[in-house]
Amino acid sequence: MATVEEPRAAEALFIRPDGKEKVTGLGRYTADLNLTGQAHAKLRYADHAHARITRVDVSKARALPGVLAVLTHEDVPDVKYGGMVQDRRLFAKDKVLWEGDVIAGVAALTAELAEQAVSLIDVEYERLEPVVDFAAAEGAPLVHEDWESDSGDDTMGRDGNRIGYSTIVKGDADAAMAEADVVVKGRYTTDCSQGVPIEPRAVIAEWHGDRVTVWSSTQVPYAARAGVATVLEIPESSVRIVVPLLGGGFGAKCDFHFEGHVAALARAARRPVKLVFSRREEFVAVDHRREGMVIELETGAKADGTIVAHRGRLVLDKGAYCGEGGFFAQMAAMHACGPYRMENIFVEASLNYSNTQPSSSIRAPTAPQTCWALEQQIDELAHALGLDPVELRRRTLIEEGAEGPTRQVFEKLGMKETLERAVEMIGYGRELPEDEAIGVACGWWPCFGAPSGAYVQLHSDGTGTIITGAQENGTGAVMAFPILVAEQLGMSPGDFSLLYQDTDAAPWDMGSCGSQTTFNSGRAAIAAAVEVREQLLDAAAAKLEVDREDVELVDGEARVKGAPETSVTIVDLVGEGGPFHGKGSGDVPEAPECDAEGCVGRLGMESFLAPQLITQAAHVKVDRETGVVRVLKVAAAHDSGVIVNPMGANGQVTGGVVMGIGQALTEGTQIDAEGRQRNPYLLDYKLTTAADAPEIEIAWVETPTANAGPKGSKGIGEPPCVATSGAIANAIRNVIGTPVRQLPMTPERVWTATREGNQ
Amino acid sequence: MSTFVQATTVAEAVGAMSGGARPVAGGTDLVVGARQGKAPLPESIVAIDRLDPLRGIELSGGRLRLGALVTHAEIVAHPGVLEGFTALADASAIVGSHATRVHGTIGGNVMNASPAMETGGPLLCFDASATLESVAGSRQLAVAELLAGPGETTARADELLTAIEVPALPGAGSCYARLEYRRQMEIAVVGATAVIVLDGGLVTDARIAITALAPTIRRVAEAEEALRGTDGGRAAAEAAAEAAAAASAPISDVRASADYRRAMAAVIARRAIEAAVARARGENVPVPASPALHGAV
Repeated sequence: MATVEEPRAAEALFIRPDGKEKVTGLGRYTADLNLTGQAHAKLRYADHAHARITRVDVSKARALPGVLAVLTHEDVPDVKYGGMVQDRRLFAKDKVLWEGDVIAGVAALTAELAEQAVSLIDVEYERLEPVVDFAAAEGAPLVHEDWESDSGDDTMGRDGNRIGYSTIVKGDADAAMAEADVVVKGRYTTDCSQGVPIEPRAVIAEWHGDRVTVWSSTQVPYAARAGVATVLEIPESSVRIVVPLLGGGFGAKCDFHFEGHVAALARAARRPVKLVFSRREEFVAVDHRREGMVIELETGAKADGTIVAHRGRLVLDKGAYCGEGGFFAQMAAMHACGPYRMENIFVEASLNYSNTQPSSSIRAPTAPQTCWALEQQIDELAHALGLDPVELRRRTLIEEGAEGPTRQVFEKLGMKETLERAVEMIGYGRELPEDEAIGVACGWWPCFGAPSGAYVQLHSDGTGTIITGAQENGTGAVMAFPILVAEQLGMSPGDFSLLYQDTDAAPWDMGSCGSQTTFNSGRAAIAAAVEVREQLLDAAAAKLEVDREDVELVDGEARVKGAPETSVTIVDLVGEGGPFHGKGSGDVPEAPECDAEGCVGRLGMESFLAPQLITQAAHVKVDRETGVVRVLKVAAAHDSGVIVNPMGANGQVTGGVVMGIGQALTEGTQIDAEGRQRNPYLLDYKLTTAADAPEIEIAWVETPTANAGPKGSKGIGEPPCVATSGAIANAIRNVIGTPVRQLPMTPERVWTATREGNQ
Repeated sequence: MSTFVQATTVAEAVGAMSGGARPVAGGTDLVVGARQGKAPLPESIVAIDRLDPLRGIELSGGRLRLGALVTHAEIVAHPGVLEGFTALADASAIVGSHATRVHGTIGGNVMNASPAMETGGPLLCFDASATLESVAGSRQLAVAELLAGPGETTARADELLTAIEVPALPGAGSCYARLEYRRQMEIAVVGATAVIVLDGGLVTDARIAITALAPTIRRVAEAEEALRGTDGGRAAAEAAAEAAAAASAPISDVRASADYRRAMAAVIARRAIEAAVARARGENVPVPASPALHGAV
């Protein structure tokens, strides 16, 4: 049998424990699991994007031999659920609001029978005009006719088809704009896009009396647990979520999705029930996509580049339901300001319902599109001022002591250093062939402080186990915990196993979202390790008969400082009996102070905790005759604070840049006038392939950051895809001489812009 | 009740087909299409992947014979194809992904009859013919007459494609080029084939076909006419490419608008012609030509 060699690279602290089974195919994902006696589920989706349901007849489906359960809204509690607004039911009741709305669920002996039963369900509708143009949703037919009776967050500014409204207001932008030396304006539009995890989701539910266990491909097991409890009106303690290996998420597997449907079907069928999505369902039925936007920006500057005024009007497509994306208006408004010093600001953002797939968190929600627009405008401003775009950024990016859009005063951060590193790596300013150019973009993304908890225990053989509520979606973020814990205990990361992915085993955790795993869950793991450390020091002091303060834990030993020959191995210490176990949470970092007076729709994003800072520079080649763009190299410089696991962090940037290239050039969901997706399949929803991936050079500006994660670290999962499309956009503009104001910048759009620019 | 037969002889295969079975070789269209919901798997399937008479590439007597089971990877690796039928190698080298090219066969590619299929243009330009067998016997049909429309051929349901024969065109330089948005897993948005014979620096034979620009892949007589007797230089290539674009009947769909397709028809056709002329002159244009012609490094 082949063995895996120890890693050779100096940066590789250890091999991911799940790496070998994933690479060799031994890994087991949710769809690989089969339970004795299991039945198979299929869902009946809406036939129209917007329609009133006048009749649902499931009698033929129920009568089909082999069908064990058919459920509609009549068969489950009448509960509305959702994040900041509770606007959705498990099964549609009065209306269907998008093509992926679920009307019924079937459990049958085989997947084929379930599919057949689904097609036997008769649904009659009164068709309604679908709201597809989200920017014109105000005044259009109401998507949620009873929106006023839906419970939700009162600060969102809900009004009819507008589910959220936020502003960022600083000084007097109108007056300052009038006095600017140079003003640039632009209107930018973006298609919605998808997370596209390679593993389509799967859910299996099995009841044991009043308790249900759900195996689910979710990024957020505790949110899934809460969702099942809510919709079935059972206690959370009756729900256990287990996550087998997760084959990617990119945010698309955040939030509560289909665990409730499958649990309800399993209870009705009195059997375990399994649901596995097709690729088409992964596009059409998932209530998670990246939002389409219309972004209007206007920026005024003094001749020296000082940005005196910035105005913005953004409209975001929320789609049919709130989900966990209720905060998008404020997040987009902050990104429309970016990591720049701006003296006066007025940015307003509306989040509108439409009859299309719901938008929710996809890796750095709202940021890549808004950054793409703002960074093009910053370049246009530089051109209008006769300044080099990099020089303009040198003069205007935030630094220590600078004031943000809401007068948050930043502590030490490495924004400008990321700019210098990126332009150095890409070779900014050098001669290039006439069809090639370099573009630069800067961006940011906040960290999110959240509670977390962990247990650490040592075993009598001198190894240990870390028990965490953190989930991982392929990033390997939890794999960094052994580094953090081992460091506290003078042990090696390889001494520790991880127990996670089970809500019955570990304390609550926010899950694999918000770039928060090292930031919050890592802190909890360290806090738990510190308790064990105290126990080891006590035991060593007694054993060695020395003062506790004189003992240190180094290289698997407890030894006397300055007299290392007086020592006892941790293996021996633990072998003599414990207890050696600890629990911890640590203190959640507090949101920084700011002055958001005058801003409405404040949902907590008005100040950015421990901002993660990004500069990416792209070197592209444009085929002017066809509009085809090839990315030759991306230089990515990031300030994510102190880097805990360099191999993992580099992996996040590599993957994020490749995802960013797709978002920039080829990935867009097209929607027809009826509200249906036109390309819900991988041939025409074009991901970037390995063959398209450019050289990616990475630099870390390691700024030890106070009020942040372990060791002065910040998050890293989301920022790598934020600035990529902006950098590529600016590079394209530098070749063809005119901006491309639609995202993705497909060959046809680049070709069209080239022709229009030449006229 | 679905049935599956593993045929060990051609007779057995065509026998099963006379009873309504559909043949499967690499399965890259049939299985993917069924999974996508395009068309359910046929009730009755006959596997032809073990039929040795359907294998192999032979080049003799001025004819190239491609067994129906020849894969795209085999076509690209064949020195005789690379030398004398370069456009076909260009095409097979960019079908789908590495996995598609190892499993996908020329027979399946032709019988799937997609207007966007890569190998169709080269086969039309080289006047290839197909051998169809059934329990009633065997017949030969020009590929141009076989392809009838999107997903449609003139073969009867009980006929099995066993081989493709391609007559050599000594001295010809040829090229298949396509517009591609990414480098792998791609399908032609616009494609063009050019086969050029030069004599004394002048074009004596020119064959031009356009791909993904009409319900079937089609030869464009006006484009061919525009090249004959010229030096095959930029002006002639442009004139021929404009004729090819004028003969296109593009649609607007999820991949591109008709306007863009028509404009790209002229660009891609010109590039295919220029590469074919260069090859006819003995210049080296690497296979596949498309990446080199589309801003690749």
